[in-house]
Amino acid sequence: MEQAALTFREVSAGYKHRKVLDNVSFSVREGEFVSLIGPNGCGKSTLLKTAAALLKPLSGLVELFGQDVHRIKPALRASLLGVVPQKIESPMAFTVSQIVMNGRISSIGRWGTISSRDHDLVERSMIYTDVLGLRERYFTELSGGEQQRVALAMVLAQDPKIIMLDESISHLDINHRQEVLQILMNLNREKQMTILLVSHDLSLSASISDRLLLMDSGRLIKAGRPAEVLDPEILSMVYKCDLRVQQDPYTGYLQVSGAVDSLNRRKQLNRNVHVIAGGGSGIELYRRLLIEGYEVTTGVLNRLDSDAEAARALNIQVVLEQPFSPVGSDAIAEALKMIDNADTVILSTVPIGSGNLVNLELASEALKRGKTVLLAKGIADRDYTEGKAALQIVTKLMTDGAVGWQSIQELMLQLHQHSHS
Amino acid sequence: MVMQDSEICRDNSFTGRSSLKAGLRIVLFFAALLLLLALSMLLGPSGIGIPDLQSPSGSAILSLRFSRLLMGMMTGAALSASGVVFQALLRNPLAEPYVLGVSGGAGLGATLSILGGSGLFVTLGLPVVAFIAAVLTLMLVYLIASQGSSGHPSVYSLILSGVIVSSICSSVIMFLVSTASVEGMHNVIWWMLGSLQPVSSGQQLLSAALIFGGLVGIWLLSPRLNALALGREMAHYQGLHADFVLVVGLLFATLLAATAVSLSGMIGFVGLIVPHVMRAFFGPDNRKLVPLAALGGGTFLVVCDALARTLLAPIEIPVGVVTALAGGPFFLIILQRRMKQAWIA
Repeated sequence: MEQAALTFREVSAGYKHRKVLDNVSFSVREGEFVSLIGPNGCGKSTLLKTAAALLKPLSGLVELFGQDVHRIKPALRASLLGVVPQKIESPMAFTVSQIVMNGRISSIGRWGTISSRDHDLVERSMIYTDVLGLRERYFTELSGGEQQRVALAMVLAQDPKIIMLDESISHLDINHRQEVLQILMNLNREKQMTILLVSHDLSLSASISDRLLLMDSGRLIKAGRPAEVLDPEILSMVYKCDLRVQQDPYTGYLQVSGAVDSLNRRKQLNRNVHVIAGGGSGIELYRRLLIEGYEVTTGVLNRLDSDAEAARALNIQVVLEQPFSPVGSDAIAEALKMIDNADTVILSTVPIGSGNLVNLELASEALKRGKTVLLAKGIADRDYTEGKAALQIVTKLMTDGAVGWQSIQELMLQLHQHSHS
Repeated sequence: MVMQDSEICRDNSFTGRSSLKAGLRIVLFFAALLLLLALSMLLGPSGIGIPDLQSPSGSAILSLRFSRLLMGMMTGAALSASGVVFQALLRNPLAEPYVLGVSGGAGLGATLSILGGSGLFVTLGLPVVAFIAAVLTLMLVYLIASQGSSGHPSVYSLILSGVIVSSICSSVIMFLVSTASVEGMHNVIWWMLGSLQPVSSGQQLLSAALIFGGLVGIWLLSPRLNALALGREMAHYQGLHADFVLVVGLLFATLLAATAVSLSGMIGFVGLIVPHVMRAFFGPDNRKLVPLAALGGGTFLVVCDALARTLLAPIEIPVGVVTALAGGPFFLIILQRRMKQAWIA
């Protein structure tokens, strides 16, 4: 009968001052092959640690075959759940068979006795992972792929029902990765072993998994069959870049791609964007716009502003004004010249005060001159002018046809649409 | 010692032969130990060779040599085994009782009890006070190292705070010595230089019991020490109470080091180098390493002591000087040749 092998019930977990997992709930059935995907730092490793009772949840419950994982005795837990870490390191020169024997450590008797079952399990898992020939070699002098197979053998020697792998295969070259994956898939099919694989390779995960779990910022965004989870819109939002999902016409596998597209576009684009920023609000904008292949100008900026530094470093044309002085007419004229050159004007999330209110007026001028103007939403919170002058200008801009944006991802999509209209 | 081409061990087609060789190596090791122990019974300030057993002075000399041999075996075994454990638990070749402040703390405790105590309290209380002081020091080191880290201190912060606490301990010892009476100063300094002069039989018995208990405890723990070599996290995944093993291991190692310090003073070098050399010859498997290092360390110290009392007779060289001066170059050569079999370096 299929039962739940691993269940998270509203689990929040993390470290002393930092909550990483935020109310995560999911369940993995016995015999399932599940991949956990998500951007760097989204909490995948923390999730594994919590599942293996290395971290105690701040709230919620983790169940292993229906039992609270923190109430299971360590030796029993090791016979249910094995974890293959990203990399195992031994500072001392243990041989491969000594390392693999560690998988039986929890069943070794008080007087250090090793039963014949322990020996058999070690032998069998070494055969399964094809490391028997390496048994007398030093673990540390093996190649990365061999080390990873030894680590897998060690975990298999625990004879667990679930194996969790923490990006253990990402850094292997393609043939070793295929080999380890093949071993995992055989274990899954022949021994009904439950596998939870943390992976960065979305296409690969889709091709081998029954289900995918997609995480972002400590939350579980979506769980389901690969075709459901690999939705370009959700993926683009989670990974904060433009991603496409295509089906391979021959194999039917889903392919996620992105980077190549952006590179192609860079060559074709010949669009100018003027950015009105300040106080560091422009740095990420500059970076993304340049990556996407736009010609970027910016200003008016205070000479000491961190955005001015960034613009100089990125070789972006910039209009500067002396610090602590009102924006002069020369600077305004120069900025208007840039705006005339641009197709689109973007207003960043810069706070507006009396000192840089003139920048908003530049945006109004741009709209009057027929440019597309994209404004960061939420101006009311950033308006430090007397009598809410900035809010008034922005409200008028929006009624006159300026477009608001919330996230940089959204902004890029808008820019893309306007570039093609 | 056995000279062997390490390539043969690594070649898997020689698996059977290599285990045979490993067995042979252990047999030769034991033979060498017995030979060295016997030789050291022949050395002494009264002359080289077996003393005349018919005369009362001759049998006294022999029994004195034998009790120094026992002192040396106990101290050397305790220091080496404790070094093995510290290195395994902290996964660091620099770890040893001195580095973590354990010896310093034990020394401070011993100094206090030598200067402050009297009579029976000194003889029987010395190991106990040294142990308590060493445990307190270890706790202090752990506490300092834990500051700022989330939960468990890193090895680096442990070693750093150990070195700091250790030097604080030795400053306090120096302060106590400088303000002590002439007699107290003499006692402490003699003790600190390290010597295998037999202590009272009461203290010897107590120390023997403590060291034996510590060695057995560590040996029982040794398979788990192997699992901790891959780190706390991995040991946890494999079903160990990793923190429990860590704490118990540290306590046993501290007990051994503190007893050794209370018995023979501050003898350096043994706890650091003997584990490395034994690991280089017999591999890092702690199940073998703990007993072999205990025997090897004990014999090493006995031999050094025999040299110390003979070389400049009737002047006795502090045995710590011999361990470092004679042992140092010898062990460095071995380590340089065989480091690969012990640590990745």
